[in-house]
Amino acid sequence: MSGLNRREFLTGSVAGLALAGCSGCCGRRPAASREALVSVLRRPDYGQELYGELRRVLAEHRLHVRGKRVLLKPNLVEFEPDSPINTNPLLVHAALEAFRELGAEVMIGEGPGHRRNTLDMAEAAGYFETIPRFEELFTDLNLDRVTEVRLARPHSRLKSIYLAQPAVSCDLLVSMPKMKTHHWVGATLSMKNLFGTVPGGVYGWPKNILHWAGIPACIADLYQILPRHFAIVDGIVGMEGNGPIQGRPKRSGVVVSGRDLAAVDASCCQIMSIDPRRIEYLTLAVGDVEELVSSIHQIGESVKSVRTRFDLLPEWSGIRLS
Amino acid sequence: MDSLLVSQNTDGGWPYQRGGPSWTEPTAYALLALMAQGSVVEPVERGLRWLNAAQRPDGGWPPQPAVRQSAWVTAVAALLGPAALGRDAYRRGIAWIEQQTGEETSFLSRVRQFLTGDSRTDPGWPWFPGNSAWVTPTALSMLALRKAARCADAPQARARLDLGAAYLLAHACSDGGWNHGAARALDYDARSYPETTGVALLALSGKDSPRIRRACKWARAQLSECRTSEAESWLRLGLLAHGQLPPNTPLPARTPRTIQNTALARLASAAAAGRNPFLE
Repeated sequence: MSGLNRREFLTGSVAGLALAGCSGCCGRRPAASREALVSVLRRPDYGQELYGELRRVLAEHRLHVRGKRVLLKPNLVEFEPDSPINTNPLLVHAALEAFRELGAEVMIGEGPGHRRNTLDMAEAAGYFETIPRFEELFTDLNLDRVTEVRLARPHSRLKSIYLAQPAVSCDLLVSMPKMKTHHWVGATLSMKNLFGTVPGGVYGWPKNILHWAGIPACIADLYQILPRHFAIVDGIVGMEGNGPIQGRPKRSGVVVSGRDLAAVDASCCQIMSIDPRRIEYLTLAVGDVEELVSSIHQIGESVKSVRTRFDLLPEWSGIRLS
Repeated sequence: MDSLLVSQNTDGGWPYQRGGPSWTEPTAYALLALMAQGSVVEPVERGLRWLNAAQRPDGGWPPQPAVRQSAWVTAVAALLGPAALGRDAYRRGIAWIEQQTGEETSFLSRVRQFLTGDSRTDPGWPWFPGNSAWVTPTALSMLALRKAARCADAPQARARLDLGAAYLLAHACSDGGWNHGAARALDYDARSYPETTGVALLALSGKDSPRIRRACKWARAQLSECRTSEAESWLRLGLLAHGQLPPNTPLPARTPRTIQNTALARLASAAAAGRNPFLE
């Protein structure tokens, strides 16, 4: 269920089609090589039911993580507990419990892009209160060990990049972003959340190397070089308008999950009333976003039934799903 | 036991978090703090050996030895001065800092700005070579060059200090302080951070302007609202540098959660007691 009909695709932007036309020239993942399972869970709030429902979602995706090292990677951005700027700690705790029940060894890690004091931010966001022994489970991906990763066929100008070693060496990296609009790339979701694996201790705050190398291209590169991943997107309360920091809360009441981050992000875009074909990093990453969308096998709620119109900055009005 | 001493790695360096790998930044701050304390010898010598061994052939320091590139931490290492680092290592470090500018002020970027009519900016320092200048690496590099200019006749350092100050003043946020260095994003005002405001004020020590006075006012208002030990330390250091720390300011309340924040808290205390290693 893509939520996009043939007419919508034919009326897509020239830029989007031009980019899609470049499919195959870079290190892209074939979109339709397999069916991409994406689940959309309707959740009105961060209540206790989330724990059981997330367990059910993971069961549907048949993740084999017994004895494996799983790294949950939430999105921590700012010290604003009253703003939906950070991934809600209750969702992260629910994921922690669910993966533990599947027999995984679970850690939590994040490397924020602007503010240095990650643990203080996690405390302000309620992580210490919500997740028992949080400090023992957590690693600051900005300040941990690093490893250099070479990019064989980069979309960006980068030939190699240092990444936080725990993100590279884990058996499954679970990207847990907040569903937000973004003033530089349109929407920030599970792929953009991978920026948190780039160590600030090396590149600084912000991780400006990613800006110079091209933000959408770097998102596509990280998606390519961190392949063992899963996404759980916190869309229960997201952010619209001038995201990812100064936007307004947007209650869309969903958690979107799946193994293929691009498929999950494309689904999230549709939920946000954003045209995924007009999100540059999706096009770079998969080539043909239309093909990606048509490969998605949606379970749970239909995209149409949970679609919410996220306000966009005027500069981004062109990505609106018509 | 002294928390800094017990967290020193066996290789002589310090990690950000106890038990982690040694990094240049926490090692340099730990050394600055221990040297300000004055009574510790052997751990300082081991730390300096680690730091000297980490210096790269180009004179700069990598963030950690696994990284094959000199970067912003060179400024933090250079704060230790020639007596600690050795004259040659220090001179090469300062020379590396003097060569760095934000990529937006490179020749090609200047040509692009000329062609597009974009406003020019004074050169600050990047976190990582080839990137734009930002507030924190600019402030730290200025502090390192101030020390170098005091140690020797260094006209190049003095010229860069003036440009660095101009960079900082041009990148203040509309609310009065500094954030990482983007005062506006897509025509929307961005908010200041206490830690970056503090380090910028420290780097602007000895200067006065309405903008600096406004930043001091913003910083004083933030003192009681800090959410991190790092913010408390930099705000104190910055306000002390301008004689603007209120006399009845309560003691820092936040617990440092990293080694470099533990060291920064001690350096701020030393500065409050009249000995500021950043400005000596």
